[in-house]
Amino acid sequence: MSNDKVGAVLVVGGGISGMQSSLDLADAGFKVYLIDKLPSIGGVMSQLDKTFPTNDCAMCIMAPKLVGTGRHHNIEVISNTEIESIEGEAGNFNVNLVRRPRRINEEKCTGCGVCGAKCPVEAIDEYNWGLTRRGATFIRYPQSVPLKFMIDKEKCIGCGICQEECKAEAVEYDQEEQKFDLNVGSIVLSPGYSMFDPSLKTEYGYGRYKNVVSSMEFERFLSATGPFAGTVMRPSDGDIPEKVAFLQCVGSRDSQAGSEYCSSVCCMFAMKEAIIAQEHSEGLKSHIFFMDLRAFGKEFDDYYTRAQEEHKIKFTRCRVAEVREVPETNNLIIKYVEDGEVKEEEFNMVVLSTGFRPPENVKEFAETLGIDLNKYDFCSTGVFSPLETSREGVYVSGVFNGPKDIPDTVAQASGAAAKASSIISSERGKMITPKEYPPERDVLGEDPRIGVFICHCGINIGGVVNVPDVVEYAKTLPNVEHAEHNLYTCSEDTQKGIKEKIVEHNLNRVIVASCTPRTHEPLFRSTTKEGGLNPYLFEMANIRDQCSWVHMHDADNATKKAKDLVRMAVAKSRLLEPLYKLELNVFQSGLVIGGGLSGMTAALEMAKQGFEVHLVEREKELGGNLRNIYHVLSEKGEDPQKMLKEIIEKVKNDDKIKLHLETTVKSIEGFMGSFTTELSDDTKIEHGVVIVATGGQEYKPTEYLYREDSRVLTQMDLEGKLAKDEIKPNSVVMIQCVGSRIEERPYCSRICCADAIKNALKIKEKNPDAQIIVLYKDIRSYGFREDYYREAADKGVRFIRYDDENKPEVTKEGDDLVVSINDPILGEHIKIKPEYVVLSAATLPQPDNEELAKMLKIPLSKDKFFLEAHMKLRPVDFATEGVFLCGLAHSPKFIDESISQACGAVSRACTILSDEIMELEPTISEIIDENCDGCAYCIDPCPFNALTLIEYMRNGNVKKTVERNEAACKGCGVCMATCPKRGVMVKGFTLDQISAMIGAALEVV
Amino acid sequence: MAETEFEPKIVGFLCNWCSYAGADLAGVSRFQYPPNIRIIRVMCSGRIDPYIVLEAFTQGVDGVFIGGCHPGDCHYLEGNYQAERKIKMTRQLVKKAGLEPERLRMEWVAASEGERFAILMREFPKQIQELGPSPLSGEKPDEKLMANINAAKLAALDFRLRAIVSKERKIVEQGNVYNETKSQEEWDEFMEDAIEAEFERKRLLGLITEKPMSVKELASEIDLPTDRILDHVVFLRKRNQLALDSIEGFTPKYISIVPEVKA
Amino acid sequence: MEEGAAEGVTQEEEFEPLILAICCNWCSYTGADLAGTSRLQYPHNIRIIRVMCSGMVHPNLVIDALSKGADGVLMCGCHPGDCHYLEGNLKAEKRADALFLMLEDLGIEPERYRLEWVSASEGQRFAELMKDFTDTIKSLGPSPYKMY
Repeated sequence: MSNDKVGAVLVVGGGISGMQSSLDLADAGFKVYLIDKLPSIGGVMSQLDKTFPTNDCAMCIMAPKLVGTGRHHNIEVISNTEIESIEGEAGNFNVNLVRRPRRINEEKCTGCGVCGAKCPVEAIDEYNWGLTRRGATFIRYPQSVPLKFMIDKEKCIGCGICQEECKAEAVEYDQEEQKFDLNVGSIVLSPGYSMFDPSLKTEYGYGRYKNVVSSMEFERFLSATGPFAGTVMRPSDGDIPEKVAFLQCVGSRDSQAGSEYCSSVCCMFAMKEAIIAQEHSEGLKSHIFFMDLRAFGKEFDDYYTRAQEEHKIKFTRCRVAEVREVPETNNLIIKYVEDGEVKEEEFNMVVLSTGFRPPENVKEFAETLGIDLNKYDFCSTGVFSPLETSREGVYVSGVFNGPKDIPDTVAQASGAAAKASSIISSERGKMITPKEYPPERDVLGEDPRIGVFICHCGINIGGVVNVPDVVEYAKTLPNVEHAEHNLYTCSEDTQKGIKEKIVEHNLNRVIVASCTPRTHEPLFRSTTKEGGLNPYLFEMANIRDQCSWVHMHDADNATKKAKDLVRMAVAKSRLLEPLYKLELNVFQSGLVIGGGLSGMTAALEMAKQGFEVHLVEREKELGGNLRNIYHVLSEKGEDPQKMLKEIIEKVKNDDKIKLHLETTVKSIEGFMGSFTTELSDDTKIEHGVVIVATGGQEYKPTEYLYREDSRVLTQMDLEGKLAKDEIKPNSVVMIQCVGSRIEERPYCSRICCADAIKNALKIKEKNPDAQIIVLYKDIRSYGFREDYYREAADKGVRFIRYDDENKPEVTKEGDDLVVSINDPILGEHIKIKPEYVVLSAATLPQPDNEELAKMLKIPLSKDKFFLEAHMKLRPVDFATEGVFLCGLAHSPKFIDESISQACGAVSRACTILSDEIMELEPTISEIIDENCDGCAYCIDPCPFNALTLIEYMRNGNVKKTVERNEAACKGCGVCMATCPKRGVMVKGFTLDQISAMIGAALEVV
Repeated sequence: MAETEFEPKIVGFLCNWCSYAGADLAGVSRFQYPPNIRIIRVMCSGRIDPYIVLEAFTQGVDGVFIGGCHPGDCHYLEGNYQAERKIKMTRQLVKKAGLEPERLRMEWVAASEGERFAILMREFPKQIQELGPSPLSGEKPDEKLMANINAAKLAALDFRLRAIVSKERKIVEQGNVYNETKSQEEWDEFMEDAIEAEFERKRLLGLITEKPMSVKELASEIDLPTDRILDHVVFLRKRNQLALDSIEGFTPKYISIVPEVKA
Repeated sequence: MEEGAAEGVTQEEEFEPLILAICCNWCSYTGADLAGTSRLQYPHNIRIIRVMCSGMVHPNLVIDALSKGADGVLMCGCHPGDCHYLEGNLKAEKRADALFLMLEDLGIEPERYRLEWVSASEGQRFAELMKDFTDTIKSLGPSPYKMY
C-alpha cells in the first residue's frame, strides 16, 4: 500500500498560513505545490501596516518568509490557480486544477515594471481596497512573489502598449486558461477569509458617508505604502481627522448580520490601529466603542492597559445605535448609550471593525473538496481534531478554520503541515530532486580574475545610466578580466553567457551590477555555481533600485554613482573566499518534556513522522490538566475523558515513544541536532530537538473564602463535581477573573469565560431552574464560543459586570454565603445568597519554569510563561534553535489550540529531524584564534548564546579563546562589532571586506 | 466700438496633398473668401499635434481650422484617420478647459475641391464671429482660462493620452491585441474619463508649482469636489509628481515636484 | 581654520558631499529598494553598503570612513523590536553613543554621523532621510579630513 503514497503536498492559499505550511513541509523533505487564486502570494498580512501586540512592521517580518517561499527549491508556487476537482484518497490524490492566464510569460518577465507604468488604463487597486489605482498590467504590491506582472483582461483595452514597451518580450496576449493535474499525498487548506460588507449595516452609513471606512481600509491609510503614505486622512477632503471613532463588532456577534460568532481579532486590531494612527498623526485622538474588550491572547491585556494609560485612548462600552453625517463638514455624529444616558458625539472619521466571513464561494469550494462546513460556513473541525477536515488527508489552518490572529494561524499552519506529512512520512525526501552542479574549481592561491556583468534592465537602468560607459570603466579596474553589458542579465541566455565567460576567461569572481541582491542574489549564485565556481565568489552591485530609479533626472551623476558602486563591489569581491555550507549531524529523535495533552500529542505526532521520541512526565500518570476536564463546548459533543484514555493508550502502545514517568530532566547539554539530556533516573538520552510542553496549573485562590468554605469552588472543582454527579446546584454565583487581570497578574487566562459558560450550561442541563449569575469584567467567548454565551443568556444565566473599583464581595451571614455586587445596569447594590460560589481561577505558569529555562537557555515572559522567538511569526519556536514550545507552557489556551500548537511544534522540529545531516548557511561568524585573546567581550552581547570562552594548551601555555557554536550562530555580527582585536569575523561580511568597500567609495576618481 | 465688426484670427493647418492643393485650386479658380485665415502647410493632417492646436489658442487665435484628405485618400494611407481621432480628443480638451469646442474645426478637402474650400472659408469665420473673440486674445487674456488651456496642453503632451488616442482606431475598428473591438460608445466613455482625469491633474499641478495648497483650497480653485481632488493627489503622489509639503493644523498641503514645470 | 576651509569651498562650485549609508539587509536595505521601486528621487551623493545587521558594524569602520574623508556616515537599522537578530539594532544604538565621543576627539562634527531606523515599508522615509542628511552635510561643508 505504502508504495502508492506520494511525497508531495498541495497547499491551497498563499497567505501567511499557506506560506508557513509550505516552508515547514519543504524543509522537512516534501515537495510542495502552493497554489493561490491571486497572481501573487502574501495574503492579507501583506496588506497590514503593523501587527499587535508588538507593533512590528508586517512587511518587515513577513518578507523573509515571502522570499523564502518564493525561492525554496522544494516549493513550486503556482499562482492564479484554483481546484476543479479531486480524485483519490489520503496518501494519493489526483487534483485537477485550472490556471487563469497571466498573459505575461513568467519565465521572461523580470518584474521591472515598465509595462505597468505605461499602461493607460486606471483600474481600482484591490490591494489598497480601491483607494488607489493600478494599471491593467500590474503587480499586487512591490514585494510580490512571484515578482511577475499580470494583465487584467477584464480591464485591459488591448492597446498593445505593454508589449511595445517590454524589452524582455514577455507579453503574451494569447495565453489561455490552462488545465493540469497534480499528484499529491495530502492537502492543506488555507484559503483565508473574506470581510463582512459593512454597507449591510445601513445604520452606520458605510458607502454613503465618505468618512466612514472599514478597518481594513484604515490599515492601508496607516501604511507607508498605502494611499496616504502613512498619514491618516479623511477620504472626503484629505484633512487629518482630529477625532476618530472605532466601532467594534460590525458584522460580528450580530444575529441580524447572520454572523453571531465573534471575529476574535477586531478588539486588538482596533486598538492597534488607534495607537498607530495617534503615532502617525500628531493630535489625533481615538475613541473605541466596544461591547466586551476581548484582549485574550498572550500579553494582550498589557496592550489594552497601554492603550488606555500611555496612549490615552478612550474606551466606551456600548453598541453604537447610529451614525449620522453632518453634510457641511462630512463629520459624523455617533449616537450611543452610556450609563443609561443617550449621548451624541461628533467625530471627523469613523472606522468600522468589520468581522471575518468565510472565503468567497466557500460552498462550491467545500463541495469540490468534499469537506463539511460548520453552520457559519467555516471549515468544520473538532475539539480534538482541530486540523482535520471531514475528508481524510485534507487538513485545514488559518481563518478558514475559525477567526483567529496571526500567531494562532502560524501555529496551526505548522500543525497542519505536520498532519499532512505524517500520513506520507514514508515518502519523505522521495519527491525532492537536488540540483546537479559541475565540480567546483579550486581557486585557492589564484589572483582574483573578476568578471563584471552590467545589466541594462531594459530601459530601467540603461535609460538613465550610461551602461557602456560603466562597462568601459569596469575594465580599467584592477583584477577585472572581463566586463560586458546585457539587456537583461537575469535572462536565460545571459545566464548561459555568464557560465561560458567564466570558463573562457578563467574567471574566479563574478559581479553582477543590476537590481537588488535581496531578490536576485540566489539566482546569480546558482549561475556562478553552474559555472564551476564556489557560489560565494559572487558579489552584486545595486545600480537599479538604489541608483537609476532614484536619480532618474540626473543621468551624469547616476552614471558616476554606478561606477562607484561597481568599484566598491570589485573591491569587496577581491577579498571574497569560497565558503561551504556547514554540515551538522542530527540525532533523528526528540525529547518532549511534559506528558499532558500537548506533550502527548507532540510525542504521538513525532512518532507518526517516523522519529523516536522520549516523553518525560514528572507525575505517575499521563494526562495533566486534561484529567480534570469532563466536558467541552462543541457541536460534536466529544467526551474528554474518553479521548484522554484513547490518547494515553496510543502513547503507551507506540513503540517509537519511550515513556519516562515520574521522571524529570536533570540537565540538557548541546545544541540543535545534538542534545544530550540526563534524566532524574540518570538515564542519558541523545536527541536532536526538544519540545517544551510543561503545561500550567489552576490558581488556588486565596480570596472569596476559597478554602474557608467548602461551597466556594473553582471552575475545575465544579466541573469534577458536576461530572461525578456529586452536586446538583440550585443557585450559583460565578466570579470571573479571580487571580487574572489583576495588578500582580495582569494577563487574561483566556479559557475561564468559556469554562464558566460551559459549566453554567451543564448546571442548566441538570437543573433548568437553577439560578446562575456570572460576575464578569469582559466576557471573552471569542470565535464560535460566542454561540454558547448567547445560549447561556437565552437559558436565563444572568451576566452582571463588575470592574476593579467595584469588585464583588463574598461573606458569610450565619450559615449563608453572601455575594454583594453593584449592578451597573440597574444602578443598585445587590446581595445574593447562592448555594455555591464558583471562582474562575487564573491559569498559572509552572512554578519551576525558571529552572528549565536556564537549562535550555530560553527566556520567560514577564508573566513567567515561556517566551517564544517571535510573538507573531514564530509562536512555537524559541530563539534557541532546536527547542520548541506548545500548550499552556506558552500561555493559557483551549484543548484545540494546544493540539494545534503541539502539532505545530512537531512540524517545526521535523524541519531539523528530516535528515541525518543538516546544512547551514556558511555566512556566520568565525573566530580568528591568533587574534583572540579571550577577553570575552563578545560573549554577553551575542543574542543567540552562540559563544563560549574556552581554554586550551598551546605551546605549553594556556591559551584562552572563544568558541562559536555553529548551530546557534545566525551571523548577525554583533560579536564582530564588539571585538576590539579583530578576533571574530562574519564570513561574507568581514571587517576587511566592508572596509574595502568603504575605501573604494572614498577613492578620488 | 461695438459697431466695428470683429475680425476673427484663424489659423489653418492644411495637408500638403489634398487640402493645401484644394486651397490652391480655390485661388487658381479665383473663388473668393474672407482674409481671416492664415494657412500653415503640413505634410499630413496626421502630423498635427494636439499640443500645437492648443498652443495656437494660448497665443490668442480665435479659431483653428484643420484640413485633411478624404477618408481613403491619405497620401500616407491613414494619417487622416489618426488626425480625426486626435482632433476629436483635442476638442474635448478645449471644452474641458472652458473654451468653445466649435473654435476647432476639421474638414476633409480634396485637391479638386477648390470651391468647397472657399465655402468653408466663408462659413467658419462667420461661425467664429458669432462666438466672438477668444477670451485668450487681446491685452488681458482670461487668466483662469489660460491656466486651463495650459493644463490641457500639458495633458495633450502626456504619454497616456497620446498613447491611447493613437490606438483608438485599431481598438474600435480593426480589433485590439485580442482581436476584439470595442464599441465607439464604450471607447468614448473610456476616453472621456481619461481626458477629464489628465486635464484635472495637470490643472492641479499647475496650481502648486510655487505655493503649496491643501485639497480644499485646490477644490475651490478648480471647482471640483474635495474627494475627487484627493483622488488625484493620491494618484500624483504615487507617480511622484507631487509631494506633501507641510501640515498646517490638521490640513496637509502639497507641492508639485514635476521637474519640467512648463512644456 | 575650519571656517577658512569652508569659505574656500563656497567660492568654488557647489560642494557635492560623499556620503556612506550602511544599511541592514532586512529592513533598511529593503526600504532603500522600495524607494527605488516607488521611483522616489533623492540626492545622488549616497553610496549604500549592505550589511546583515546594523549591529555588525564595528565603530572602527565608521571612524575609518570619516577620518578617510567621507563627509557623512548614515547608519540605518530596523526599528526597535523589528531586528531580525532580536536586538542588533539596539547594540548599534549603544555604539553610536560611544562613537560620538570618539568623533569629538577627532574634531569631527557629530552631525556627520547619524543612526536612523528605516523599516522595509518606509521607502518614502528612506528617500526623505537621504535628502535631509545630504542637506545637513552640505551645510556643514566638506569633512575636515577630506583629501584632495
